[in-house]
Formats: sequence, structure tokens, C-alpha cells
Amino acid sequence: MGLVDRGRLPKPLTSLFNMGRSYSLWVYQWGLACCAIEMGAAFGSPRYDVMRLGVIPLPASPRQADLVVISGTVTDKMAPAIKRLYEQMPEPKYVISMGSCANCGGPYWDSYSVTKGVDQIIPVDVYVPGCPPRPEALLEGIVLLQQRIKNEDMGARWRGEGTKSMHIVDGESAEKGGVPVVVNN
Amino acid sequence: MRETELARILEALGANVVDSLLKPNDDMWIRVTAESWRATAETLKTLGFTYFGYVSAIDWLPSPFGKSEDDASGPSGDRDSTIKQGYTGGDTRFQVIARLVQPFTTIGINIKVDVDDAVMAVDSWSSVFAGANWHERETHEMFGIGFNGHPDLRNMYLPTDFEGHPMRKDFPLLARIVKPWPGIVDVEPLPGDDEEEGEAS
Amino acid sequence: MTMLGDRQQLAYIASQAADARVNVELETEGMTLNIGPQHPATHGTLRIIARLDGEQVVWAEPSAGYMHRGYEKLTEVRTFPQVTALVNRIDWLGSFANEVPFILAAEKLMGVEAPDRAQHIRTILFELSRIANVSLFLGDLGVQLGAITPVFFAFRDREYVLNLIEGATGGRFHPNFDRIGGLKDDLPAGFIDETRVVMKKLRTFCDQIEDLLFGNEIFQSRTRGIGVIPKDVALSYGLSGANLRASGVDWDLRRDQDIPMAWNKTDFKVITHPDGDSFARCWVRLQEVRESTKIVDQLLDTIPAGPVMAKVPKIIKVPEGEAWVSTENPLGEMGYYVVSQGDQGPFRVKIRSASFNNISIVPWLLKGVYVPDIITILASLYFILGDIDR
Repeated sequence: MGLVDRGRLPKPLTSLFNMGRSYSLWVYQWGLACCAIEMGAAFGSPRYDVMRLGVIPLPASPRQADLVVISGTVTDKMAPAIKRLYEQMPEPKYVISMGSCANCGGPYWDSYSVTKGVDQIIPVDVYVPGCPPRPEALLEGIVLLQQRIKNEDMGARWRGEGTKSMHIVDGESAEKGGVPVVVNN
Repeated sequence: MRETELARILEALGANVVDSLLKPNDDMWIRVTAESWRATAETLKTLGFTYFGYVSAIDWLPSPFGKSEDDASGPSGDRDSTIKQGYTGGDTRFQVIARLVQPFTTIGINIKVDVDDAVMAVDSWSSVFAGANWHERETHEMFGIGFNGHPDLRNMYLPTDFEGHPMRKDFPLLARIVKPWPGIVDVEPLPGDDEEEGEAS
Repeated sequence: MTMLGDRQQLAYIASQAADARVNVELETEGMTLNIGPQHPATHGTLRIIARLDGEQVVWAEPSAGYMHRGYEKLTEVRTFPQVTALVNRIDWLGSFANEVPFILAAEKLMGVEAPDRAQHIRTILFELSRIANVSLFLGDLGVQLGAITPVFFAFRDREYVLNLIEGATGGRFHPNFDRIGGLKDDLPAGFIDETRVVMKKLRTFCDQIEDLLFGNEIFQSRTRGIGVIPKDVALSYGLSGANLRASGVDWDLRRDQDIPMAWNKTDFKVITHPDGDSFARCWVRLQEVRESTKIVDQLLDTIPAGPVMAKVPKIIKVPEGEAWVSTENPLGEMGYYVVSQGDQGPFRVKIRSASFNNISIVPWLLKGVYVPDIITILASLYFILGDIDR
């Protein structure tokens, strides 16, 4: 679409596309450790069902996914595999880092073989704290990500500027519909 | 029961045992000579200790970096660095420890052996107990102790290009040296109770 | 080659004969298949490197270490309560069971014994962790073999048990509830009645899983006769738990060991199976969940009154000594060898985890099996990556 990369897509159309994208995320589950069980409970158990948010945990390979949830401790031996699988995902892609091990190293912050946070390897959009976070916390993280996607400027992403909000007023990101949009500019 | 078992074992092993200890209602320890390490395994297997527990090592050097509750950036001159071994004594910094159990009666025995610093190797148990294979690989990469006769001594957990032996006491945990642990002091009192159980739990 | 079972030997000979008949001039090459470390069928990040000859495995080796977090080094710079919190995360499905042998070893060194009520409640929570752990195994077993439905049953029923554990301890898993000398707190009101209701639901769950999976013809033909482990091989590798009992060894550390927990006050069966194949291992675990629910029911009827914490000082310094305690954890025998030199924290902790020994048999066991059987055998051996890699 020529309109998108030239940045000429009008806001209502962008909002429509963003809404469509945010409600049909395909999640690639990267379950490493204990948080994987909570992620499994969120995705697979009937109580904390994640499919009602439109998020479908079924992609067979990273090439079909738009969201990856890194849950569990990232070790130095595993890090190249994570980087490789992240690079196999097509744009636009999002990362949720779940649990304190993936956020910052967690209880193993002083270990010799643990990467202190997955954001040292790949860019992260939403951090979900907890050890392990309850499945409801993961669902809240996904809802925050959906809000972020809804406010996203597709043109900026296409040009390679990363995630940028559509609503920039005087250089600052603004609120839209009463909800503060947290972005990194 | 344990006394008779220990007596049988000491009789079978004879002069190979350097020291032994039996704690009542608790456990048994023996320390054997390095040359008889594999023979000890074979003898114990014939005496009924057929269940393989584990093989690992202990580094008796007190850590030069202090414990968590000390300040690691403090002067290290006054930190005690005498090597003091535990049960059944010892003469070297490293000791290899193993455990074998008699199934059904659950009588177990802890076996220690000194590892000479110059040699840094003991015989391998993998021909006697097949499970020792992986345990010896792990002990080798963590402590740097060689195992003579092991079929395939390579790294178990760490990447192949990892330098150093992490479980040695002089291998530092860099994250703690860069920023020392602030201590077990709660900076803010917890809401509700001020000085209650905050420390012991 | 002499260690392969009959079926495998026949399969190998048949495949060689077929090759010889058809591919007289065709040179075939082996292929190296890399399973994992990210794979939906492995319980975490286990990587298996298999050399194949057609569909048969010639040589296979698990490559562990993708979840190695350096537990034994970390315990040396932490105090005893901090180590308790850390040690929860080794076997992350049945986590209360990880704390118990460590705390028992520390209590042995200190010479204190927890009061009776605390021992009782510890045993109840231990068995609840076992039920939570093994019920997920039963659900996952279906997924490994291609049956997706049982896992939803497992997650749903596991939620009941996790609610109980959360009600008592505050954490769904990783409760961090054990303390040297007893427990952090007493049971909440209504716990006993609620637990009885949940145990009934779990017995129904076991019946449902038996219906869904164990009678299924495909399940039977995929697991019977696959991965046979003889008794002496199992003992020399140090296999433990249901893997050992499925090979016919009648040995259970709950019954055959004398430690300060409440198992000797209950009456339960130890289940063994003579075959030693994958079906036996799965079947033994199913029966063990049923026995666990009965143990919990018996314990609930007989909880003694009293304090839940012995008199210990606020800042605990454990005296010098060495102690070993091992218990019958959901995965097998888990033991801690704690060396203390009089500080607030341990000097050296050797964690003997069950899955490390259980998986060390895999190179021997996978010679000559077909590729789908690799997954069946790993599923039946049942490991948790945190337990292998610590």
C-alpha cells in the first residue's frame, strides 16, 4: 500500500486497521520455565481463556505469528535461539516479556549463566511483572498491548521508526479517549 | 541396623578407608583413599548398595568475596581463608563426594575422597554405575576435576566456550561485585506491622 | 546392540533386510535431527540431537543446559530463608515439594523438629503439590501423543488444587511457605472442607483421564512395549519415583524412610508394575494420584492441634555440620546435601534432582526406536527442565 509508507493514511482508516490488527493477534508461545505454566493456564484453561480477547495461541511457526510472549528465565545458552526466532517473525511484531526473569533476570540476577532480562536481546513492548504473574496479569498485559496497537502510527512503523503513537501533540504523546497511551519515543 | 552395615563395609574395604563417621539416627560417612575410589564403588555394589545417588564435589575454600550479608566491597584482608573440611576430615581443598543407597532398606552411605591439588583427577565410576556418566561431566565442568576413564568428558550445562569453573569459590558472581547486595534491611516498614517478622521471613 | 529389546532388534533386522532387498546400489546417509530446544513436545527447553537411519534412531543425546541458572552457586551467597524461596523454582509444577527436604536438612543441622501440626500440614501440602504436578503430566501425556482434549481437563482440575494452595499459602505455585522450625502460618478457616470436595473432584478427573486415554487403542499400541527399562539398569542409573516402580522395584521413600513427616501415620499402597515400558510408567502415575487423594483425606481427618512453629531465634544461624535429606517428590527422589559452617547461609548445597538421573538413561534407551517413539518415551519418563538443569 503506497499510502502507508508515504504516511498519507488518514487517521480514521489507520484506526480501523489498527483495531483489526489488535483483535486478531496470533501468539507464538515461548514457554521457557515456570511462567510457561501460567501462560499455559491463561491460554489453555477454560477459566482464564485468552481467546475471548481475540488472541489465538495456535501458530505453528514463528513465521505466522505477530506476538511472542517470552515467559521464563533466559539463559546465555538460549539467547541466540531467541534472537533467531524473533528475527524469523514478520513485521509488525510485538514482544511481551512475562515474569521477572524475562524482565530483568529476576531471582537469578546474580547468576553466571542467566541473561539479565530479555530486553538485552530483543526490543520489548510490554513487561508483565510477577513471579509468576497470575494469568489475569498476563491478560492485562495483552490488553495494554492492544491499546498500544490501537494508537499506533502504521506509517512510522513501515518506515522503520518502531512503535510510535498516532496522537502526538506538540511533540508529546497524548491521550486518546481518556486512556493514557504509554509509548517510548 | 546402620552399625552392622557400617561394620560390614569397613571390614570389606579394609585399609582403603581413611576415616568414617556414623551419626545415630542419621547417616553414615566414610572417606577413602584416592587410589581405591573405583574399587570402593565395586565393593559397595556387591554389598548391596546398588542404587546410584549422585557424584559431586565440595570446594572447602572460604569464599574470598564474603557472604551475602557482608559488604563485598569491604576490606578482604581480615576475611578468614583457612580451609576447614567437614565430616570425616580431609587434607585437600577439593573433595569428591558420592552417595550410594541400598534399595528397599534405604540405608545410604556418603563417600568422600580427597582430590590432590596437583593431580586434580580421580577415577571414573561410569564403568561401575552407568548413571555416573552425566554426574561426572557436570562435576568436571563446575569444578575442573578430571575423571580418568570417563568415555566422553565434555560440558554438560555450560556453552563450550565458557571459561572458568563456576562452582569454585574463587569464581566471582560479577553482578554482586558490580553492585553489592544492600543487606537484609527493609528500607521502608511494611504497611501494618513495623518491626514484626520482616527479617526472619 | 545386545542391550536392545526383542522388538527393537526385530525392527532393526527387518529394516536392514528391507534395505538390502531394495537398495542394493543406493547409498543412504544418516540424517541428524535436532529436536528443540523450542519445541511444543518437550517439557521446556530440552534439546535432543538424534542421528537417524531412515526412521530409526541410531544414536540420540539430550543436550541440557538451556535452563541452567546456577542454583548451587547462588545458594552459597544467600541466607537460609532466601534459599528456600529460590529452591521452590526447581521443580516448578509441584513447588512445595522442593522446599521440604531442604528445610528438613536445615532442621536436622539445627536439632529442632517442627511440631506435629506443622508436620501434618507440610505433608498435606506436599501431597497436594504431587497431585497438581502429576495431573498436569496426565494431561500433557495426551498432547505429546496427539490427543489434545485431556489437557483442558487437566488445567481445569489443576486450578482447584492451585486455589487450595493459594488459599493456604498465598501463592498459586512457588508458595515459599516452609520455614525452619515449622510453617509460616496456620491453615485458613474452611480449608479442610474445601479440600475434601476437591479431592472428590480429582478422583473424578482420574476416572475421566482413564476413560479418555488409557483405554484408547492407539494409546495402548503406542506405549506398550516401548522403552523397556530392566530393573538393574534402572538402579544403576539412579532412576527414581514412578520410573523405578514401573520396572518392578517396590521401593517408596515415603514408606521406607523415617523422616519427620506424617506419612507414617497414614495407610497407602505402593503401586508397582512389572513391565517397565512406557505404559507402565504412565499407569503407575495415574494410580499414584488416586492414592495421593486418599492420603490427603486420611490426613485431613487427623490433624492434631497445636502450634505451627517451634521456638527458633529470629535471625537463624545454623550450626556446623552436614546433612542429607531426600523425599519422594512427584518427579522422583529429590535430595539436598547441606553443608553449613555456622553462618546465616549454607556453605554448599548439593541438589540431587530426580530428572537429571531420569534423563541420563535416554542415550541408552533411544537406540533403535522410531522417531515418534522418542516423544512417547520422553513423555513417559516425565521430567521438568528446571529439575534437570537446576
